[in-house]
Amino acid sequence: MTSIGTGYDLSNSVFSPDGRNFQVEYAMKAVENGGTSIGIKFKDGVVLAAEKIVTSKLLVPNSNKRIQTIDKHVGVVYSGLVPDGRHFVGRGRDEASSWRSTYKVPIPVPSLADRLGSYAQAYTLYNSVRPFGISSIIGGVDEDGAHLYMIEPSGSYWGYSAAAAGKGRQTAKTELEKLEFSSLTAKDAVKEAARIIYLAHEDSKDKEFELEMTWISASETNSIHQFVPEALLKEAKQFAAEATSPEDKMEE
Amino acid sequence: MEQRPVNWGRPRDDIYGAYDHNIHNAAKMPTVHTQQPIVTGTSVIAVKFDKGVMMAADNLASYGSLARFTDQERLIPVGKDTVVGVSGDISDLQYVERLLEQLEIEENYDNDGHELKSSNIFEYLSRVFYQRRSKMDPLWNAVIVAGVEDGKPFLSYVDLLGVTYSSPTLATGFGAYLAVPLLRQVVDKEGDEDNLTEEDARKLIDKCMKVLFYRDARSIDKYSVATITSEGAKLEKNVKCVEMNWRFAEDIKGYGRTVA
Amino acid sequence: MNGISVDVNHLKKGEVNLGTSIMACKFDGGVILGADSRTTTGSFIANRVTDKLTQVHEKIWCCRSGSAADTQAVADIVHYHLQAYSAQNDRDPSAKVAASLFQELCYSNKDSLSAGIIVAGFDEMTGGEVYSIPLGGSLHKQEYAIAGSGSTYIYGFCNTHFKSNMSEDEVIQFVKTALAEAIKWDGSSGGVIRMVVLTKEGPRRLIFYPDEYEKICN
Repeated sequence: MTSIGTGYDLSNSVFSPDGRNFQVEYAMKAVENGGTSIGIKFKDGVVLAAEKIVTSKLLVPNSNKRIQTIDKHVGVVYSGLVPDGRHFVGRGRDEASSWRSTYKVPIPVPSLADRLGSYAQAYTLYNSVRPFGISSIIGGVDEDGAHLYMIEPSGSYWGYSAAAAGKGRQTAKTELEKLEFSSLTAKDAVKEAARIIYLAHEDSKDKEFELEMTWISASETNSIHQFVPEALLKEAKQFAAEATSPEDKMEE
Repeated sequence: MEQRPVNWGRPRDDIYGAYDHNIHNAAKMPTVHTQQPIVTGTSVIAVKFDKGVMMAADNLASYGSLARFTDQERLIPVGKDTVVGVSGDISDLQYVERLLEQLEIEENYDNDGHELKSSNIFEYLSRVFYQRRSKMDPLWNAVIVAGVEDGKPFLSYVDLLGVTYSSPTLATGFGAYLAVPLLRQVVDKEGDEDNLTEEDARKLIDKCMKVLFYRDARSIDKYSVATITSEGAKLEKNVKCVEMNWRFAEDIKGYGRTVA
Repeated sequence: MNGISVDVNHLKKGEVNLGTSIMACKFDGGVILGADSRTTTGSFIANRVTDKLTQVHEKIWCCRSGSAADTQAVADIVHYHLQAYSAQNDRDPSAKVAASLFQELCYSNKDSLSAGIIVAGFDEMTGGEVYSIPLGGSLHKQEYAIAGSGSTYIYGFCNTHFKSNMSEDEVIQFVKTALAEAIKWDGSSGGVIRMVVLTKEGPRRLIFYPDEYEKICN
């Protein structure tokens, strides 16, 4: 942390002499500490998955969702500061519903990503605010097919075939790069997503976690964003558990 | 000289006293919105039966007496087990449709599996209709909300005045005169619906739609039927009036005086 | 009754009206719009060569009927919105989006507007699309649409002679005949017949003069 003590890291609206915005970089640290999130685009849709670290045994299972719905056809998962994510999703919902009231059609996913990217970017410009402590992965299906985007604290966003954020992102990315996206079916994508979250969790194995998964698919969910059904989730978890601990299986 | 034209031509101060300048800031007239319906749909009819509710509305959107659009759907499914039937102004129908879609989207934000119940939808609509009539800018419709809630049939009415009521048989517009008497022959009071099967309810609905086609000059013989049971809502489209009786016309000659 | 009565129907006396015959129709490969060219104030023809076919985007056009001032204002606003749409979203707006913008303007200002608009547009995804927006501000998707005072005379003709998937030549003949009849029977319609053909090649204008089209229905 070479920046500490220079004073250039204290304000959002001030560059350091070498052209960096340290507040944005610190925000990215917040993201790196968060539970892993991934998104995978397949033939006719997108699957989103989150590794939700159970921080207390007193928490109600399946509560405190990390994957949320922006509009019927769009979902979002994020790593980092959950309250920041909640606010960001609120903005996404406002954008989506304002688009609907103007144009009477669902917002195209690229347009939503663009608007949310601009929103995140605005929080890097002013002295009175701090950047969002989240990287969010936005998945959706519109008339042009499936889309996947990731928005970072800087406000920069790119379209992806698969994206990962949070603590286990390096492991996840390595695995995601091996996938064949053009032929991947919805159900296979769900299983792969589960496997990758399980694998990415290995490094912090001491902590309990919950797997959260949603999908949007033209063929499976009528292009509506919803949680993966219980039966398929169970199947995917089993697949993930078997795939990530092959030694245990061999011993049986 | 008085430089501000707004003060020209005012009563003279020396005779009438100083001019009260608040007067020209006051609104000249009360705000008036009250429209008239332009493109309209006619009756919606509905009846409870032992396992649910059945509702029907024809596919005509009239422009005055002109049968302008003959493929207008007026039954709007909302959530899994509710259908909203709308008569009256079609532009307001489409507005209500958009309100309900947004309501549904916001309901699904939580992704908790909770679905809007028929009574929730009805209560929402009745508040919207009453609020708009209180702004002197009514939504020019009469609406029937039909559904199944906690295994029991739900049926309620709300209109442009914000008036609401419930009954095991309901109809809007002309249907209130022509269909309700026929429906009440079978389901007269609460509880009577327990003796009506889905099959018989359908026959009853078809009969009412036929009578409405015979006697309502703003109707056509093509309609949609919604059937809501605990299994969910199904919408049957493009149903035609069949087995109509016209042949007796051949024997009607003249109008009273005996003619050949 | 002694209440205050307000007459909203006479707020705009002496208005320039497009007492009109307009239509739009889908065909195999695109969509076509057609209109007469008469504009009247009462029974005086204020303009005998009016252009009632208005472009709001490259391949989205509209036919205007009702008050000339109202429909021009509405079309200008929609034109602005669609320019902004394609600049901001890096894509062309669909005909549905354009029609919805017209619809919202006509619906939310229904107390002060007299506008009957037909919107027609071409895009690669849907081929051609035709939307009708009558007085109250409702939106109706159609295979073909007719509107304006002259349209009442051709409901029967259009209903009988319309076919799905006509060729371009067929659809031009259909629109020409329909409008020729409307012009013949409607005193508020007249002049030349203007058409715009929208295909993947872009918009193309056509014009037909009275000495030619009158022969169809002498």
